[in-house]
Amino acid sequence: MHVRLLKELRKDTFGKLGLALIAVFAISALIFPLIFRDPRSHSQVILKPPSSDHLLGTNDVGQDVWSRLVHGTRTSVLVAIGVGFLSTLISTLAGVSAGIIGGVYDKVVMRLVDALLVVPTIIILILVASYVNPGIWVLILLISLLNWQGGARIIRSQTLSLKERMHISAARTFGAGKWYIIFRHIIPDLIPILIVSFIHRARMAVFMEAGLAFIGIADPLMISWGMMIHHALKFYFLPVWKWWLLPPGIALSLLIISFVLLGYSLERIIEPRLLNA
Amino acid sequence: MLEISNLKVGYGGKIIIRDLDLRLDKGKILSVVGESGTGKTTLGLSIMGLINERAEKGIVQGKILLDGNDINRMSKEELRKLRWSRLSMVFQNVEDALNPLYSIFDQVKEPLLETTLNNEEAEGKTLNILEMVEFPIHRVKAYPHQLSMGEKQKALIAMAFIGDPEVVILDEPTSALDVISKDSITQLLKVLCKDRTALLITHDLSTAASLSDNMAVLYGGCIVELAPTSSLLSDPRHPYSRGLIRSYPDMDRAKDLQGIRGRAEFVESGCPFHPRCTQAIEICKEERPKLIMVSQLERRHSHPQQRPESSIQNRVSRYIACHRGGVIPLLEMRGLVKSFGKFRAVDSVDLTLFEGETLALVGESGAGKTTLAKTVIGLLEITDGKIYLEGKKIAENGTNLARENGFHRKVQMIFQNTRESISHRLNILEAVVEPLNIQGIGSEKDRLKAVKDVLEEAQLPSDDDFLNRYPHELSGGEAQRVVIARALILNPKLIIADEPTSSLDASVQAKLMKLLNNIQEDRGLSMLFITHNIALARKISDRIAVMQSGKIVEKGPSSRILASPLHPYTKGFINSASGLNHSKL
Repeated sequence: MHVRLLKELRKDTFGKLGLALIAVFAISALIFPLIFRDPRSHSQVILKPPSSDHLLGTNDVGQDVWSRLVHGTRTSVLVAIGVGFLSTLISTLAGVSAGIIGGVYDKVVMRLVDALLVVPTIIILILVASYVNPGIWVLILLISLLNWQGGARIIRSQTLSLKERMHISAARTFGAGKWYIIFRHIIPDLIPILIVSFIHRARMAVFMEAGLAFIGIADPLMISWGMMIHHALKFYFLPVWKWWLLPPGIALSLLIISFVLLGYSLERIIEPRLLNA
Repeated sequence: MLEISNLKVGYGGKIIIRDLDLRLDKGKILSVVGESGTGKTTLGLSIMGLINERAEKGIVQGKILLDGNDINRMSKEELRKLRWSRLSMVFQNVEDALNPLYSIFDQVKEPLLETTLNNEEAEGKTLNILEMVEFPIHRVKAYPHQLSMGEKQKALIAMAFIGDPEVVILDEPTSALDVISKDSITQLLKVLCKDRTALLITHDLSTAASLSDNMAVLYGGCIVELAPTSSLLSDPRHPYSRGLIRSYPDMDRAKDLQGIRGRAEFVESGCPFHPRCTQAIEICKEERPKLIMVSQLERRHSHPQQRPESSIQNRVSRYIACHRGGVIPLLEMRGLVKSFGKFRAVDSVDLTLFEGETLALVGESGAGKTTLAKTVIGLLEITDGKIYLEGKKIAENGTNLARENGFHRKVQMIFQNTRESISHRLNILEAVVEPLNIQGIGSEKDRLKAVKDVLEEAQLPSDDDFLNRYPHELSGGEAQRVVIARALILNPKLIIADEPTSSLDASVQAKLMKLLNNIQEDRGLSMLFITHNIALARKISDRIAVMQSGKIVEKGPSSRILASPLHPYTKGFINSASGLNHSKL
């Protein structure tokens, strides 16, 4: 199996689309908050529809919706990247070590994975979050700790299969030790899977963060799309709600869709048999 | 009886023979074999006392005792009397040895002029001897240029034997002849040499084999091995003797011919063979090994070494001049067991692999061949038994002793499924350099050079374009060569090749086998060659071991196993071997 992810991705419409959208979001998260006005400054101009002054109107305390949307992008993208990275790291550590070390250690880790797979993690998340009202970093940590199990299981089984591969046996006959094998062979061989896992975790994280904010148990000072939806819904009886509610809703959907598209096409590239079946 | 001790001969300041000790017994033929230029003819000439006369700065030191009288100290007159009557020689170079101006009859008669016989008696005796050597009597008056090679050779033999000498030196008596005349001359010499002391100098092993009782292998003016002819030929122990025998075309042996690496050159100090020897160590460069009886040597190296099959019957004396005691056993397995649960995949296997030889391990799939290989190289843990590498224990009874770096540098493996044994992520350069990276050998530049060298050795391009290619861009044969190059880069002593060609077509396979054979010749590599194809094993192996459900059921020299298999399984295996001649049922 020899794949060049980027090259293959360029041939794939869904993949291209997903990648382009994610790029747009990432760039806006990076640049726009520097350009547009402070999302926290409030004014007397409340609940206004879009105008030249306020591109997307204002909310109940006179904050600029566009500005809040743009800053919310930063939160979502940060959570996506943070959780994607952290949870993939945890699943790699757990999966590779379980696969290589085996024995009792492997059994313990795998039973923990089973337990986490059975428990509906969103409920644990809601319970914990409602106690601590997490800020963005704690939120990333929480979501990561509750979302590594699926990845760990896949990585472990891949590791088990990889370590019996001929080229790894060959490296052992050159005198390579465990660490060499793990870092020079097993992890590089896992990279395509790690990328897919990263994308899926990221998507999940965006959704979870928005969900927690939406039900109002995240840190109230955090600016995020979920929080915007949470607040906007309280004003559903006024005609202005659509200016306030729709932008974060659409942005959220687009970001999640772009992750889905990218994940889908990456999976297809890495394991073509998977989706043709 | 002729006894030579401490003989040192040289011309023009160059020493040809040094410290040579040899004893020739009456009624026995001793053959002296070796490549051209090793001093064989010089030895013959010095026994004849012909050296001082032939070359100006010639030196002959030491003793050559003919029944107690030192030929070396005799005056010219004494020597003249001795020659042809007690000591004679059949000269090499049939073309030049006869005077073109004399007829054969006159030349053969010539040695008799010195004797007291009158002319008639001499003529009668000449005719007699010519008849005896089956020289066509009606042609005795012919001149040398009118005769065929065989006839001239017969005339020379007649000349040598006419004086009824005690000691005969036969210098390449058959090398100029075709096989049929060779055979008749060999028979003739056998009869003529009876009850005489004979020294046969030849590079032709088959003549030596059929004529001589004992054989001395000469290299660089030293005897490197001396043993009864049959045991020396069937089980040569000195690396040079083995190389010599390997390069000799033999009807029984199917393995491709292999030469001896390098060429004969004059060596100032140390073992004369060390520049060409593949198992030379430091001491070989410094000290000349003494010719020692083998039993003494074996006591000195006390680790368990059983010689292959032939050792059982030969308890005869054998002398070897080698610091390492002859060809060393590189890999030894003693009672090797590998079990998975209750299933014994490898069951009490005893195998010895000598330096520079190919041992083919044949057997059907599931016989445990690959498991054996993986256990030896340490990919699987040993269950019971012992493994030695160069006499050092590397694994024992269930514990894999730590295989220090040295082990991986000495033993490498070529895997069954080549393409999978190269990581798809690595390009050729990265794949081939990996062993050096792991072992931490050399600088970046050295490594690149090493990679290019081994690729060249494996007959692959070594340009940047090729180095940047990926395994999936290679053909099966190329991929296999890359794997061979990678296995060679650590310069191992032993390669375990597990069905290296089973996925290749026959022509690619043939090229690869040739490559492996050449590499073996150059590097003195031992090979454990695992295959289910006995026809292939026959072409490349010195010895064959047949494996059936984890056990070695038969092992021995390839020619013996194939010609007369003893175990029923081997017989069946050989019968079902692939061939192109099977007529349709």
